[in-house]
Amino acid sequence: MNFLSLVGIEWNKTRRSKIFLILILATVILWAPSVLNANLNFGMQAEGISPENNFFIQGFMAMAWFLFPATMVVITVMQNQTERSNHGILKMLSLPVGTAKLCMAKFVVLLSFSAVQFLMSAGAYYLSAAIASRTQSYDFFLPPLFVLKEAGVMWASAIPMLAFFWLLAVWIQTPIFSIGIGLTSIVPSVLLINTRIWFLYPMCYPFFVITSEYGKLAANLETAPVRLTPWLPAAGLITVICLSISCFRFGRAERR
Amino acid sequence: MNIIETQNLTKRYSGFTAVSELNLHVPKGTVYGFLGPNGAGKSTTMKMLLGLIRPTGGSFVIDGRRFPDDRTQILKEVGSFIEAPAFYGNLTGEENLEIIRKILGLPKASVSEALELVGLTDFRKRLARKYSLGMKQRLGLAGALIGRPPVLILDEPTNGLDPAGIHEIRTLIRSLPRQFDCTVFVSSHLLSEIELMADCVGILNHGRLLFEGTLQDLKFSAAAQGYPTDNLEDTFLTLIDADNRRRGGAR
Amino acid sequence: MSLVLEFRKVKRTGLAEAFLGGGILAAAVPFLNMTFRSDRYLSANGSPVTILMDANWQMMSMLNVLLTVAGACILYHIEYADHTMQKMNTLPIREVRLFFGKAGVIFTFSILFLLTEAASVAACAARWFGSGPETAARVLYIFGFALLMLLPPILLSLLVSSLCRNMWISLGIGVVCVFAATMLPTRDFVLTLFPFALPFQTPGSLAADAVRNYAIAAAAEAVLIVLLEVIILNVRRLFE
Repeated sequence: MNFLSLVGIEWNKTRRSKIFLILILATVILWAPSVLNANLNFGMQAEGISPENNFFIQGFMAMAWFLFPATMVVITVMQNQTERSNHGILKMLSLPVGTAKLCMAKFVVLLSFSAVQFLMSAGAYYLSAAIASRTQSYDFFLPPLFVLKEAGVMWASAIPMLAFFWLLAVWIQTPIFSIGIGLTSIVPSVLLINTRIWFLYPMCYPFFVITSEYGKLAANLETAPVRLTPWLPAAGLITVICLSISCFRFGRAERR
Repeated sequence: MNIIETQNLTKRYSGFTAVSELNLHVPKGTVYGFLGPNGAGKSTTMKMLLGLIRPTGGSFVIDGRRFPDDRTQILKEVGSFIEAPAFYGNLTGEENLEIIRKILGLPKASVSEALELVGLTDFRKRLARKYSLGMKQRLGLAGALIGRPPVLILDEPTNGLDPAGIHEIRTLIRSLPRQFDCTVFVSSHLLSEIELMADCVGILNHGRLLFEGTLQDLKFSAAAQGYPTDNLEDTFLTLIDADNRRRGGAR
Repeated sequence: MSLVLEFRKVKRTGLAEAFLGGGILAAAVPFLNMTFRSDRYLSANGSPVTILMDANWQMMSMLNVLLTVAGACILYHIEYADHTMQKMNTLPIREVRLFFGKAGVIFTFSILFLLTEAASVAACAARWFGSGPETAARVLYIFGFALLMLLPPILLSLLVSSLCRNMWISLGIGVVCVFAATMLPTRDFVLTLFPFALPFQTPGSLAADAVRNYAIAAAAEAVLIVLLEVIILNVRRLFE
């Protein structure tokens, strides 16, 4: 059984799981206030950022700070609950497929869900920009290449964080705990992005990246620039460690 | 020839021994009834055979292959149904089987064949979580039978079925060795049930094998020990009771 | 009586550990912040406690609210998961007493974690700013206010959890509400009265009459939510 078809099977398992509903809901909650408060984008002289850039960046900052990580925490736990609630995992473990492979296939599905969320958010951004442009009689549109690039960079920077959430969901059997720890782990990221050791805390990454972009777009703001070292090696190491432990732990509780 | 053989298979948890030095011999092409009261260690044994539980000691061979080296090969040949039925509630019965089919690399038709075998064809489009207990049980069985594996390990497959369903599944299991040329290793806590479908039995109590052989052998052995043999259920109960007494009244 | 029973029910659910862990984590926030960035705060103007609260309360209160939301979800999940709710309804007690019992549990735990946090803020003020024992009264006042502000979200998340048989839905609603609360513009008084936004308020950054207004609003919201729960439970019974 090759890895790709296993990923396909894992995708099929998420049918009717309401994950897409959560993604849609999160996107609406994220962008609806931006449309309603579109006029606030004209009062950013102190920061020195243009209204269209502010409209875009505030939405994506809100997403990176809490909504995206929170959605992902919930999805990781849901993915695991699908296996556990009716002992589906027991059947899987008694079929000729490696547990590590199964674990990685599920992680790839998680990655694709996160990508879908960014794409949905980019789509919702254009929809919101269209509405805001109408209501404010001002062109809020930014070039698609720029928007997609930002979304893509944020998505890539979120991979270590997703690996950490995946580890939580696999390791901690009680769903409310893995959710609780996941959600609480998001909160300190506001504090940590302002410290020198931000690169050791994967929950900071997407927020750090977008905040840094905010600094670039706002003339009067200074934010820390993204430096690839020691960030990339640290991120790589964290991802590898989290995924290795997840693969090792996957299905353990059911195989005692 | 024995298709499943265990050598001193043991599982110890901190504080108690679930399975103790078990030596099973399951002949090829038979229905082997694995009998014992609740908590005797039947499920633990079956889970060990499927690699769901790591044995503390001993080893086993299935169709000439050893665990854990030949895990994948063994699991390809064994269809299993363990404890409560395992399924994905958000998928239909058919979609659940489709997952197993793809992993086993079986032809498309095997799904409908398995559904037909357990009588779920009419309900194949219904979500598994909306199935009745009996239907969930049948779906679990279909997941074991799919692709006609040469070895079937079934843990109390008639649990939760109504009398008609029990009869139907029993008849199906009885017919499997002939129909599919396979071996069935099936557990139950009811001798009356095993009696109607098994060729050989193994009786387990507190993790130890009290008896292994044909039903005829069981009668002889019981008679030799002065136990009642008119009703096999009584024989079984007396056997278990005597063993419990030997252990100092522990039940 | 029902409070004691409710405390007994949460045995081995991990709720106490969750509150303990969450409380310690929130209490660690000012410590970590001062360890890494004390230079920034030591040069700030204002009383030490106000500086510390301004710097950390956003994060601490977010942890507090998330904790109460999760707590409310678990408390009702244990009722719905194995159909205990059905059993409870066949016993001669009023369903709303269950609600009060659970509110009592979270409220008691809230006192404990807020006290831990208060101790941490007082310790930070003493260690980095050299504040004396006179700050204790101020810290207790601030955290007493925090407890009052926490009451509406506790009751509201319990109300939501009591209505949703599926824990995921109540948790989802709770998380979304907490997120929405962090996104609300703070300049608009009416918007900050959103129950989940109240705990983010702290007296140090408010005028005296605003403190009073928030206190009245929190008390009024608490009463309203309880009334709403009573009405909903009675109406729901008619349709079951």
